[in-house]
Amino acid sequence: MNPFRLLALTCALLAAPAARCAEQLNLFAWSEYVPQKVIAGFTKETGIRVNYETYASGEEMLSKLLIGGAAYDLVQPPDYIAEAMIKNKLLRPLDRSKLKNLGNLAPEFLGLPHDPEQKFTVPYLTGTVGIVVNTEKVKEPIRGYRDVFQPKFKNRIVVVNDNREIVSWALVTLGLDQNALTPANLATVRPLVAEWIKLVKVFDSDSPKTPLLNGDVDLGVVWSGEAARLIQENKKFSYVLPAEGAHPYVDLLAIPTTAKNVAAAHRFLDYVLRADVSKLISDEFPYTNPNAAARKLLSPEQRANPASYPQLEKFNTFRDIGKAAAGVDKLVTDLKSAK
Amino acid sequence: MRAADTSAQRRPGWAAWLLLTPLLVWLLAFVVAPAAILVAYSFAERDELGRVGFGFSLENYGRIADATYVAVFARSVGYAAITTAICAVLGYPVAWCLARASENWRHRLLLLVMIPFWTSFLIRTYAWITILKSEGLLNGLLLWLHAIATPLELLYTPTAVIVGLVYAYLPFMILPIYGSAEKLDPALIEAAHDLGCGPWRTFAQIVVPLTLPGFYAGVLMVFVPAIGMFAITDLMGGARVPMIGNVIQDQFVGQARDKPFGAALAVVFMLLFVAVYWLLQRRAAEREPA
Repeated sequence: MNPFRLLALTCALLAAPAARCAEQLNLFAWSEYVPQKVIAGFTKETGIRVNYETYASGEEMLSKLLIGGAAYDLVQPPDYIAEAMIKNKLLRPLDRSKLKNLGNLAPEFLGLPHDPEQKFTVPYLTGTVGIVVNTEKVKEPIRGYRDVFQPKFKNRIVVVNDNREIVSWALVTLGLDQNALTPANLATVRPLVAEWIKLVKVFDSDSPKTPLLNGDVDLGVVWSGEAARLIQENKKFSYVLPAEGAHPYVDLLAIPTTAKNVAAAHRFLDYVLRADVSKLISDEFPYTNPNAAARKLLSPEQRANPASYPQLEKFNTFRDIGKAAAGVDKLVTDLKSAK
Repeated sequence: MRAADTSAQRRPGWAAWLLLTPLLVWLLAFVVAPAAILVAYSFAERDELGRVGFGFSLENYGRIADATYVAVFARSVGYAAITTAICAVLGYPVAWCLARASENWRHRLLLLVMIPFWTSFLIRTYAWITILKSEGLLNGLLLWLHAIATPLELLYTPTAVIVGLVYAYLPFMILPIYGSAEKLDPALIEAAHDLGCGPWRTFAQIVVPLTLPGFYAGVLMVFVPAIGMFAITDLMGGARVPMIGNVIQDQFVGQARDKPFGAALAVVFMLLFVAVYWLLQRRAAEREPA
């Protein structure tokens, strides 16, 4: 390339951001969680360009937000991360007068312990962690964790690659509080977690449905949205909430204190709270939609999917555990290493 | 000869420094500074969000000595060593044949070694999953040939991890050895034959010593990154056994929320690199006079 053309190109590149100074919104959200249709629809309606940056864990989001390299206008923390963010004054109180569609949300997803006054967060999608069974391969009834983690199912199980999850399952199986991650409790569950880890073939949080679909495993303890997609694909899969106690979670949308475009963030929040928009989210990601108005627009088949809309008795979410997370991490690393 | 010596020993003038500046700035900004930050972090304390706080502590290094993490380090080194050995055994003959091929063929064959780099590494790893999975291509082929009665358990095993690692790093072994082998003057081999050397002796006493620099470079380029690899162990190994890369990642962006400890692990990891590099350099230097 001749030097003049190179120079011209460089100038063009440098000038480009100035040329398109349209209003922008920096959205920092889970990968595979906000449909492209929704983002495009928002831009079409408001003229605001959305920069969708993604992460693979709530901790990753928190870590990048704290480093402060970019000004995110909207983040999408899970419940226990939101709790830590509220405690540490990292979230901005919402202006409810700008959220006309807030009434669409079902009351059972509001006022939960992570944000008791619902001042900082808006539920986006919720889900449960439950058991998927390939009923063609596993004929006996599976009701809970004890039924999944049996020696005869060795190397036929996939679980989410989430250290806190597996430890919490052991806690509830032994009748302990899933959030009481004290050193004493960790010592109590250690033998049980050790036994379980030996039976697992795959740990995968990103796409635990893949080994089930591929026939590499027959049982899974996975996110309900993954299970819902499996059931959509093939009716041989069934979804069970563990009898010992299921873990439901809420993914939220919130505005960090460092946000630059607070007005656009509110507009986006109100937009995704709209019933027709929220329905689009459910169409693509079949988790439990907390938007009651949107649920009415779903097909009977979508609403009948047992993984999307299970019969849940108690909404017992994860709480912020602060520094105790390091102990959980070490326990699981140690047990995975030992096998 | 004398003139060349004195000019090489002359102190660099301002023009030389000017030319060096971009490189030095780059090194400072992207190598020295991040490494310094990592070292500083590794002695720091953390708050409950995992942020690095002030305060000096040796606790992070104390924790590395824990049997859990020593085992993780040892396993990572073990996998990397096996990968390097297999890459060397497979890569050396390939590199040698490439270097000896006719000019026309050499370029085509080299292209074949490079083509995989045109596709994303993750996509190629997913391709291996398609091949190795229970209902995958390999099992399908073997079942069709009646070589096996039930599908083999290939994916999510240590073997799958090694296959993935060897596949990913083989080109990094082939290319440097090829570089050395190509420069080797065929006349030297002819001379060895003329002086009565058999093929084995020629190989051991002429070919191997002359291609050793490329071989060492290959070992370094495979062994070092293979220790820290975590995507392959997650995707093809099912994340069943943690590698040092997984553990470090978990401290920074994972659930452990413990950057100082992650930094300490990374510093030890870097020292390991330096040790391997230094050992190989010393071996190479010892060979030189001979």
